[in-house]
Amino acid sequence: MEKLSYDAIVIGGGLAGLMAAHEIAVNGYKVAVISKVFPTRSHSSSAEGGIAAYIEENSDPNDNPDYMSYDTIKGGDYLVDQDAAELLSMRSGEIVRIMESWGTLFNRQPDGRVAVRYFGGQTYPRTRFVGDKTGMALLHALFQRVSGLDNIDFYNEWFSLDLVRDDKRIVGVVAMEMKSMNPVFFKAKAIVMATGGMGMLYAHSTNAYINTGDGYSMALRAGAALKDPEFVQFHPTALYPSDILISEAARGEGAILINNKGERFMQRYAPKKLDLAPRDIVSRSIITEIREGRGFPGGYVGLDLRHLGEEYIKERLALAYEAALSFSGVDATKEPIPVRPAQHYYMGGIDVDITGMNSDLIGLFAAGEAACVSVHGANRLGSNSLLETLVFGRETGRAVAKFLESHTEDSNSLDNEVDKIVDDAYKYTKSESGVHFGEILNKLRNVMWDEVGIYRDEDHLKDAISQINQLREMSKTMYVTDKSKTYNTEFFNALELRNMLDLAIVIAQSALNRKESRGAHFRTDYPQRDDDNWLKHTISYLKGNTVEITYKPVRMTKWKPEPRVY
Amino acid sequence: MSDLQEQEIVVKVKRFNKEKGDWWQEYKLKVDRFTQMTEVLRRIKTEQDPTLAYRASCHMAVCGSCGMKINGEPRLACKTLALDMVKKYGKNEITLEPMDYFPVIKDLIVDWDNFYERMFKVKPRLYPSKEVLEGKAEHRLKPEDQRELWKFEQCIWCGLCVSACPSVRNDPDFLGPAAHAKGYRFLADPRDTIYEERLKILIDSSWRCTYCYQCFNVCPRDVEPVTTIKKTRAHTKFLTNKTPVANTGEKHIESIVKSIEDTGKIEEAKVYISTYGLVTTIKDMIYAMQNGKLKYALISEAKVKNIDQIRKIIGEEK
Ligand SMILES: Cc1cc2nc3c(=O)[nH]c(=O)nc-3n(C[C@H](O)[C@H](O)[C@H](O)COP(=O)(O)OP(=O)(O)OC[C@H]3O[C@@H](n4cnc5c(N)ncnc54)[C@H](O)[C@@H]3O)c2cc1C
Ligand code: SF4
Ligand code: SF4
Ligand code: FES
Repeated sequence: MEKLSYDAIVIGGGLAGLMAAHEIAVNGYKVAVISKVFPTRSHSSSAEGGIAAYIEENSDPNDNPDYMSYDTIKGGDYLVDQDAAELLSMRSGEIVRIMESWGTLFNRQPDGRVAVRYFGGQTYPRTRFVGDKTGMALLHALFQRVSGLDNIDFYNEWFSLDLVRDDKRIVGVVAMEMKSMNPVFFKAKAIVMATGGMGMLYAHSTNAYINTGDGYSMALRAGAALKDPEFVQFHPTALYPSDILISEAARGEGAILINNKGERFMQRYAPKKLDLAPRDIVSRSIITEIREGRGFPGGYVGLDLRHLGEEYIKERLALAYEAALSFSGVDATKEPIPVRPAQHYYMGGIDVDITGMNSDLIGLFAAGEAACVSVHGANRLGSNSLLETLVFGRETGRAVAKFLESHTEDSNSLDNEVDKIVDDAYKYTKSESGVHFGEILNKLRNVMWDEVGIYRDEDHLKDAISQINQLREMSKTMYVTDKSKTYNTEFFNALELRNMLDLAIVIAQSALNRKESRGAHFRTDYPQRDDDNWLKHTISYLKGNTVEITYKPVRMTKWKPEPRVY
Repeated sequence: MSDLQEQEIVVKVKRFNKEKGDWWQEYKLKVDRFTQMTEVLRRIKTEQDPTLAYRASCHMAVCGSCGMKINGEPRLACKTLALDMVKKYGKNEITLEPMDYFPVIKDLIVDWDNFYERMFKVKPRLYPSKEVLEGKAEHRLKPEDQRELWKFEQCIWCGLCVSACPSVRNDPDFLGPAAHAKGYRFLADPRDTIYEERLKILIDSSWRCTYCYQCFNVCPRDVEPVTTIKKTRAHTKFLTNKTPVANTGEKHIESIVKSIEDTGKIEEAKVYISTYGLVTTIKDMIYAMQNGKLKYALISEAKVKNIDQIRKIIGEEK
């Protein structure tokens, strides 16, 4: 097999990956970015509402980074590592300044400075934005910047199969060029997993089709742990029925949720924050309204923008307006937008510390949605994730550069391992007849939605685990009908399914173990938060067919847990 | 819901692979008024035919993955509702083909190398001042400048405009509509520092567009690449050492303005001579004569009546 050698490999060309690669490269190291899509097609492009930042001299005069950390920690239901939240807040202004200097066209105040808007769970408004296509604007600006650097090689539309390790450290990764189906061993001393989220595990998700959780599963298979894998965020306002996100910015700009009686029902659930309460609370409130018969036929509630006026809607909420019109035929200036909750974000991720480093495998790093640092704890605040990708993308890049300084010895060559990875990928799909990936995939997505979703309990979770195990068994004889040697997407879809199954079992098992309700993890059989027993991170490993779970304390600095009321 | 308008449609896909060449394949499936074409493709792939190859990522018209020809029109599949196409064409059969111009790799998947090369030629990134880059100074940007630039920055590199542009196909020196949109977005950014270099890259190419407006018609983000080309041309006067194409183009515009100033109309013949020079004009006239088009050039123009007002407007514009 062909072999290529780099100082570091970044897997993922979204915001986190590009920022990490930038940092490694400007420190003088040679880095490869491997991405299964052209970088600007990464999921980061879909982010709408904005990026949170406390900017000195350009924030509410009463605000400061401590308030921002506090909001993040409380929003995350105290499962947040507080040192990480503090770093996130402290670096937020600087990262926005950097992105601005690289050309991001942030919306402006009349005096030419970056504008700001409110987002759910913020004591003071901190969200910086570019219309409602903030992710697209940031991703293009960053990609364009990085594409001008010399010591980064891009491998676009290359699918990464598995990590290569020896007994204690990372040695490289095997990836396959999708066009030629040619596998290559990328040898490196450090690898950054920046592979993004996993929304396709759920029947309803706002995520891009490519979000299949590959990075989590590659890390699991290499022996690294996931932190807090049970924490899956559901966004309250996905457009019915296509699940396209209607940004929280809509509610930030004044939209309200109404039931079939025309009531502003959030008054009942979060009397102070109302429609701008955190996502988990609003999602559950909507589901409750629908279950108790106050939704609209088909199962949705209304998001009412009409009082904001046509001009305001069309300028500040262009994407929400466009989406409702193009995908549901609803003119938001005239009638409420039909919305319901859908999977949106993954708080869990590859277990890393505040520098992005994993402690199971020397040389393994992670950043962005693929990682769990953890700044989001049990529930992420809107606009904190774009911020995380950039702040911790940069921290991770720096840590990698430092790591490379002190780890100069050459890593082993593990040619046998490398061949085995390719064989495994093919073996998995070598049957001559049987089910193809689509059948298993659709079943998996429904099981996850129905039984490992917004409301959970022991019986359903146990059932989910047994069903996922059956699907994993079934997948061993998965059949790839396409034998073509160019751009065989069926083959890659089958590999994505393998990743989804490995992740699903870890999520379900970890959810069953956590016997309390916290943030996005809501157990109807244990409806209260239980700090005495559960104020700790889940640490899950996948060993063959079993999930091994341990726990780890939450890092606390200044803030004591208090009830999370809004 | 009762008004979902569920309906069975036939989807005909132009397939291609290296091994088998190309062929048309038909699929039938039920859709409703909300079904996007990306969802149609996803369902075909997971429920009927896993071998069908296409690209799609965001399903919300921001990633630029899913460009293809739908009933012959260059469109984003995710931004196209199946039943809208059925209604528009009055039949329940929808055809899907890869975008024109791009070489086909497999089924609906095309090769982007040439497109990206053109995009990177225009240096698609801001070159801020050293002070700003080092954090010693801060950019201020007027809200109206932000709005103007944002229109052109919204290009998602979907390639539809390029697939529809006749000039890209005929003229290897033409950068193409998407690259021009990107190039202009930075040319016009007051925060940028390499204005002259950008002019050199963009001006000659900008005179190679034929103003056919195809790019304008197909762009799913309303970027209006042709508008950026027009706006770029207006910068020709700031460029020293123009190429022949740019020179000719600029002269062409000047002589049109002069003709309007003189007569209130565009006198094709005069404009032609002052643009291309006498020798070229005579050659072209012979060609035109052979093709029976000369009569249009030789119509003599009378001055329009309110010529003073026209001159005044031109004066103000200048
Ligand atoms: C609709 C929507 C709106 C959002 N809006 C906001 C918002 O307003 N504010 C906010 O803060 N957050 C928002 N988020 C969340 C935020 O967009 C994401 O968390 C963030 O963009 C993730 O970035 P990333 O760099 O970690 O990963 P991504 O951008 O998802 O990039 C992942 C990369 O990994 C690559 N990859 C994956 N698997 C493989 C493989 N096997 N081989 C090779 N490459 C691979 C992909 O090609 C891709 O390049 C939103 C999310 C959604 C779904
Ligand atoms: S107007 Fe110009 S750029 Fe646009 S399609 Fe026509 S020739 Fe191409
Ligand atoms: S200008 Fe429009 S059509 Fe052309 S690549 Fe950009 S978004 Fe696509
Ligand atoms: S899938 Fe992203 S533009 Fe259509």
